[in-house]
Amino acid sequence: MKMSAILKKEFLVFFRNIGLVMFILYAFTLDIYIAGKGIKVTPRHVSIGYVNEADNLIVNKIISHFHSPQFKKPKLFLSEKALKNAIYNRKIMVGIVFSKEFVKNLISGKVAKLQVLIDSTAAAQAEVTLIYLQNILMNFEHKIKIPANIDIIKLFNPNSNTKWFMSLSELMSNITMLGLILIAVVFVREKENGTWDIMLLMPVKGSIIIFSKILSQVLILMVGITISVGLIIFGIFNTPINGSLFDFYLISFLFSFAIGGIALVIAAISKTILEVAHLTIVIMLPLIFLSGAWTPLSSMSPFIQFLSYFSPLRYYIQATQDIFFRGSGFVDLLPYFGAEFLMAVILFYIGYRKIGRLF
Amino acid sequence: MKLNVIRAYLKKEFIDLIRNKMIILTYLIPTMILILFGYGIKLEVTHTRTIIIDHDHSKLSLEIINKFSHTKYFDVKVKNLTYKQALHKIQTNQADMIVIIPPSFSKNLYKGAEIGVFIDGSFPLRAVTLQGYVEKLLIHGFNIKLPIKIENRNFFNESMRDYNAVVPGLFGLIFLVVPASLAAIIIVKEKEVGTIFNFYSAPIKKVEFIIAKLIPPFLFHSLNIFILLLWTLYLFNVPFRGNFFIFWLVSEIYILISVGIGLLVSIITSTQVAALVLSVIITVIPGFLYSGILMPISSMDKESYIEAHIFPVMYYNHIIYDSFLVGQGFKSNENVLYFIILCIYAVALIVLGTSLVKKAIK
Repeated sequence: MKMSAILKKEFLVFFRNIGLVMFILYAFTLDIYIAGKGIKVTPRHVSIGYVNEADNLIVNKIISHFHSPQFKKPKLFLSEKALKNAIYNRKIMVGIVFSKEFVKNLISGKVAKLQVLIDSTAAAQAEVTLIYLQNILMNFEHKIKIPANIDIIKLFNPNSNTKWFMSLSELMSNITMLGLILIAVVFVREKENGTWDIMLLMPVKGSIIIFSKILSQVLILMVGITISVGLIIFGIFNTPINGSLFDFYLISFLFSFAIGGIALVIAAISKTILEVAHLTIVIMLPLIFLSGAWTPLSSMSPFIQFLSYFSPLRYYIQATQDIFFRGSGFVDLLPYFGAEFLMAVILFYIGYRKIGRLF
Repeated sequence: MKLNVIRAYLKKEFIDLIRNKMIILTYLIPTMILILFGYGIKLEVTHTRTIIIDHDHSKLSLEIINKFSHTKYFDVKVKNLTYKQALHKIQTNQADMIVIIPPSFSKNLYKGAEIGVFIDGSFPLRAVTLQGYVEKLLIHGFNIKLPIKIENRNFFNESMRDYNAVVPGLFGLIFLVVPASLAAIIIVKEKEVGTIFNFYSAPIKKVEFIIAKLIPPFLFHSLNIFILLLWTLYLFNVPFRGNFFIFWLVSEIYILISVGIGLLVSIITSTQVAALVLSVIITVIPGFLYSGILMPISSMDKESYIEAHIFPVMYYNHIIYDSFLVGQGFKSNENVLYFIILCIYAVALIVLGTSLVKKAIK
């Protein structure tokens, strides 16, 4: 009864702040759409330029193999200098110089060395682009006999559709950010507005106040997740789900409480929302970027991999990817549920102790 | 404009920020982001947990296993599992890749032999990169002579270091997010707490108020330019090939842009939460996506290519990457153009913000 009264009050406060409601809606819909749609992590439309010193038809034949979506239409440059200039101005990422010697060797069947100039500012992209190049040149000459068929299958996402991956990563980042901010602010706003003492005078136990305040924000988050998953992730991007949706909701719920624990600590320390802002950024950014949301954990340094065991987001991300892509069942996910639950309990206990002193 | 009014207001702002201990966070956050991300974001794919199932046990299959084991890209375990068991390893996140060499593989060479590679495709970039690594490695393993040999010369980041690729790009992210949220919050705070009425009723002009509010975040973060530069040069050993003066000037202008965004955010919002959420949303995601860290702008799809040109990050990071890795400076027309665009951007934001601030209750 008392709990529902507090819940009602918190929902009222939330929905009266129309600006905030709009931004949160934005974060759960359009923002995720933009992130999913906007960026292809695998290099596409690589800008490519070439110099044809030999002026031979075979060059045009090779060039015709560079096509979309991997490459933009190759641009002809009159001299190597002009090509280099374009690379220096970062108009062109890959430059190929077809020298007279290359064409001569290629026709006479010797090993022909092809000079490739590449802007390697983005090292990983450059590397993948080189692999593309290699493949094109290999397929160009049908004379090569490969002794065995190399059958490479990319499981779960055979066409490397980045929309699925990016939109989920963005959703999890936004949940982390909003969870921290919303829950911390529910408490700090009372401090800043001076209504903290009024809150203490209520004939309700402190623990119930704390719990129902958090629950109100967690419920708001869950509604946001539902909107986002239904409208954007399933609705627009047609992301497959190989596991069960219930598991995803369960882990999201546990994760929200783990984040709530961290938010309680922030709320206990800060007196103003400005402090909440800074502390949130300090905690949120490493959480998001070092838990494997955007780049795979296994490539990070061992120390960071070790640290990430203490991040509730790590388990959330892995469980979510397992549920959506790898199709793991409830039993396989149990370690994540366990870890997330443990995280939630520990963080919540710490946060509760911290803020409980103020009651 | 009365200078002594501005001075008095500024003094109040500085005392406020220092009393809040905000000053510690103002300097802690950018450094922390730079160090954590610099060490943490690895776009290169290494230590892929690979399971090789060898049913052939021939000289060739051992050679292939050897080839896989001797690179930093794969952490190989040779196991005798069925395909199903191995797949379960991927599903439970204990492996990233399976290679299956079928029985009598080496006997069937040139007669339809097949080697199966299964990659966990959940991370698209990792999957594509791994595919390339595997193809390259197996072709070497079969000792095929290719008629065309690629001789690549890498520009700007010759050794393809991840640090050189990631760390300069972080400047655009940090100086977009942090000054904007600081500026937005210190203005909106007055609205929420109610002290904005001091401004409404005091004999202070709109311009003076804005100058006094924006100078503290601007000055605080100007010092951060140098702090971050030092970390980049001496901790990450990124080369600096450009002109220091251009680097410094463009960074100051960029901070001005960020503070201007904060000003605009503070006009739309009336509570600090909303200001915080809005400034983080409109800065973090574009700041990261269009920074050129994940992918070069020139290689983007049409939609995102246009979107990238709307946000200031792209122009700033172009000049920053140039300062660190390329070193063309203002010799390149592109840099001059982008510099002018940034200047226009800064002026437009501040002018727009100033004209929208009202010195009265709505």
